Amino acid sequence: MATTTATVNISSTDLQPGNALGISASTTLYQTGTTTGLDLVDYGVGKLTEASAGDALAEALGTADTSNYVYICNTSTDKDQYMVIGIHDTVIGNLGSEEWLFMPWNMGDADAEINIEAEASGSITYEYAIFKSTYTLPAKT
Amino acid sequence: MATTNATITINSDITSSPLSISKTMVLKKFQSTDGIEETTGLRTKKFNATTAVEIIANTEGTADKASKVYIRNTGSDSAEFFYIALNNNAAASDSTETIGKLYAGDWMFIPWKATAATTHDIVVAPSTTDEMTLEYMVFQE
Repeated sequence: MATTTATVNISSTDLQPGNALGISASTTLYQTGTTTGLDLVDYGVGKLTEASAGDALAEALGTADTSNYVYICNTSTDKDQYMVIGIHDTVIGNLGSEEWLFMPWNMGDADAEINIEAEASGSITYEYAIFKSTYTLPAKT
Repeated sequence: MATTNATITINSDITSSPLSISKTMVLKKFQSTDGIEETTGLRTKKFNATTAVEIIANTEGTADKASKVYIRNTGSDSAEFFYIALNNNAAASDSTETIGKLYAGDWMFIPWKATAATTHDIVVAPSTTDEMTLEYMVFQE
């Protein structure tokens, strides 16, 4: 059984004057509703160009309503370049340069693909990792 | 200008070559090098019904900017979770749009577009009537 841990530390001495912020949380990524570790992963590096419309980083091809986790990092150092992150037609947010996200993804239905788009110009290199309960490859055409 | 750092560390032995990710970002305003200066502060809320509940209204962020949301399920029962969604009934499947399932101990940190509409309210639904607790925080421009 594989063991995957994800830890976050959020800190600031001056965001809340007189009350330093210090959040630390760690979790082990388990298969749906169990204490068995996830043992499937898809990770890599890609490049998006502003000229293209949104692209699907991952299709919702696995078993619906399961435990999956997504990490994406916009590695651009240009403050004007950001990635639009969404699930199907719903935009979650703008991932700015040198920013990352980590979220669960339940693949609740066939239209729950993860979409990414580069803005506002040029190309953006991104890193990603998707830890999965099930891994279904796209059908051969 | 405040300085807020967020660091993610992911370690995994899923692959034969151990996966290790470590990234630190400074929470900045949209397309800016200035740090985010506003926050809701860290909130804690208990739930004891499976009814979907809005925990963050779209009005708590500025539309189309660089808000961030941190959410953590503080529980310890591996079978219990919250559905996390944008403007829906936070069910297993919904087109607008369930993000994922946040199991006990799990956390998420996402950019949040906070579009000025209920389409970007953040809604949660517990999986059980057992008492469960979320902690969450919004970082805003």
